[in-house]
Amino acid sequence: MLTTSSVRQVTLNEGAVNCDVRISSLNGPACERLRDLGFCEQMQLRKISNGRNLVCTVCGAKMAISRELAEQVLVSPVL
Amino acid sequence: MSAASEAPSTVALIGNPNSGKTTLFNALTGANQRVGNYAGITAELKIGEAYTPHGRKLHVLDLPGCYSLRANSPDEKIALDALTGKLPGTAAPDLVVCVVDASNLERHLQLALQVIELGMPCVLALNMVDVAEKSGLRLDPAKLSEELGIPVVVMQANASKGIIELKQALRHPFPPSSSALWQKSDGDPEEARRTFIADICSLAARRPDAQTWSLSDKLDSVLLHWFTGWVAFIAVMFTVFWAIFSFASVPMDIIDSALGSFGGWVEEMLPEGDFRSLLVDGVIAGVGGVLVFLPQIILLFLFIGLLESSGYMARAAFLMDGVMAKAGLSGKAFLPLFSSYACAIPGVMATRTIDSAKERLVTIFVAPWMSCSARLPVYFLIVPLLLHESEGSWKQALILFGIYALGTATALVVARVLRGRLGPDKSANHFLLELPPYRRPQWRYIFRHVIDRAWSFVKKAGTIILGLSILLWALATYPKTDSKDPGEILAHSAMGRIGAFIEPAVKPLGFDGRTGTAILTSFAAREVVVSSLAIIFSVEDTDDDEETRSLLRDRIAAATWPDGRPLFTPLTLISLLVFFIYALQCLPTTAVVAREAGSWKWAIGQFLFMSGFAYAASLLVFQGGRLLGF
Repeated sequence: MLTTSSVRQVTLNEGAVNCDVRISSLNGPACERLRDLGFCEQMQLRKISNGRNLVCTVCGAKMAISRELAEQVLVSPVL
Repeated sequence: MSAASEAPSTVALIGNPNSGKTTLFNALTGANQRVGNYAGITAELKIGEAYTPHGRKLHVLDLPGCYSLRANSPDEKIALDALTGKLPGTAAPDLVVCVVDASNLERHLQLALQVIELGMPCVLALNMVDVAEKSGLRLDPAKLSEELGIPVVVMQANASKGIIELKQALRHPFPPSSSALWQKSDGDPEEARRTFIADICSLAARRPDAQTWSLSDKLDSVLLHWFTGWVAFIAVMFTVFWAIFSFASVPMDIIDSALGSFGGWVEEMLPEGDFRSLLVDGVIAGVGGVLVFLPQIILLFLFIGLLESSGYMARAAFLMDGVMAKAGLSGKAFLPLFSSYACAIPGVMATRTIDSAKERLVTIFVAPWMSCSARLPVYFLIVPLLLHESEGSWKQALILFGIYALGTATALVVARVLRGRLGPDKSANHFLLELPPYRRPQWRYIFRHVIDRAWSFVKKAGTIILGLSILLWALATYPKTDSKDPGEILAHSAMGRIGAFIEPAVKPLGFDGRTGTAILTSFAAREVVVSSLAIIFSVEDTDDDEETRSLLRDRIAAATWPDGRPLFTPLTLISLLVFFIYALQCLPTTAVVAREAGSWKWAIGQFLFMSGFAYAASLLVFQGGRLLGF
């Protein structure tokens, strides 16, 4: 059985485009703001594009966030 | 019933940005507030009146959108203060309507729970259910109401669905406040909210397992692409400017013709004298000279309304973030700056969505350099003098595009310098923007907004511009002389004397005293320069609309210095254009800047800086051009 610790966690920046991932944790000074916007632990999201700002869908909404913010979002693949 | 219970209750509408609060506010109150499809359209508190089904009056507050009650940005602070009764002049609400986007419930419930925790009576307006159902979301409003402990009203505010049901929910007595059962005394409140939302959404708002590829996603794959996105952005912007030049010519001819006929009729009906001269040369030439540009202004607001309503504006902000970063700003500054192309006042107010206080100040400072619609009459007067109509409207559009680009580029350079001088923020602010789904434009609100703006322009023509036109006519007419030579009459008049006095200051820019006087009169409102030139160069309306349209341009083109040299060479015209691109000639903007920046010092500093910059740039263009042999 897979446990949380055995699943590889990467930052949202490192996540693959067009893949569904789940937020494992938030780590950084902007955590509260990210949570307000729907980037909460256990929430599923899909990264749409890379670039200067990332585009991803979370809770049915499309959000553009900077790479600095994406670095604070740790995700793991949806199993 | 006691008198106290008859007093109107206050109902506040709160919700995340772009959840449809203003649409709901308009539907409830019959108001005509601006509605868009991007975050931050409502930057200030709006107050309206509505009635319950039993005829009881309600005061309705439309609060700026916010993601939480932590008040990260100025508009969020306004919302929080209004909710807690700390906003001066506004009563604390008796009931709060939490407007949530049903297709984004997991996110929007965060704020709703925080409002419920304040212990205020709440109603949840479950808006945009059509979008939620289309995306395959299975909603259970009854379960939602049961779990939250507050009434839930299913709505589609843009189609006026659910309005009656919501008004029923606003009947007295108001529903009691919920006891926020999700909060435990010993736990983390944030964690408790998140867990509760996850649970409630799994019961009452279940998402389909597979994510669908919507039309918005397909459009975004092109419009947000690093290459095709920019091609589309430039094409959209160029089309807007080209259309303003091309489509407006027919209604402009009609207005011209009507004013010409009216002027001719007045001239025929009245005996020769000062009163006829006042009406024909002062009022009709002055006000008519500005009114003729109404079609372009309507078109500009129509296109901006379309871009906002469709959802493209947020994509433009996303694309522009990289460009804005080079100026020390973020993509969030794009929306206020773009709004400033229509009018700097809403643009300055829209800066409230910017989290960083320093970035906000810089954006306010440079916003008036985005060429607003009041500059259009000046540009439309000068550009055709530089390039004849027969050379094609696309060339004129290209010049207009260049004018806008020059103002924008300078604004970005100055923003960069200013941002550097203000230093970094205490806490880092990162780019974060919601990209709403593309929607069909809400034509009803766009047209109402365009009519509002057009009416405000006409009102300005009928008040400020009319007043200044009469004043200018009097200055150009009195004191009188026996001479019949128009040049001598003007030189003898008060206007001529003012012109002679200020000529040494404007001559280095290539202007004579008459042009200098026209510029001087336009410091309260820049579009007045057109009427001033019409009055100074004694342009009268004629019956021939084609002749009327080009008469002012012909007079300007034919104007000479006393030694016979043409007054307006291409270099002088460019110098004049440059002056109007940069000068801050709008008193209402200065007043709004003082309010938004919280300092008259900042507003006056901006006025002096921009006026000085305009003078220096104009001087550089004219003297530099002369040195190069133009």
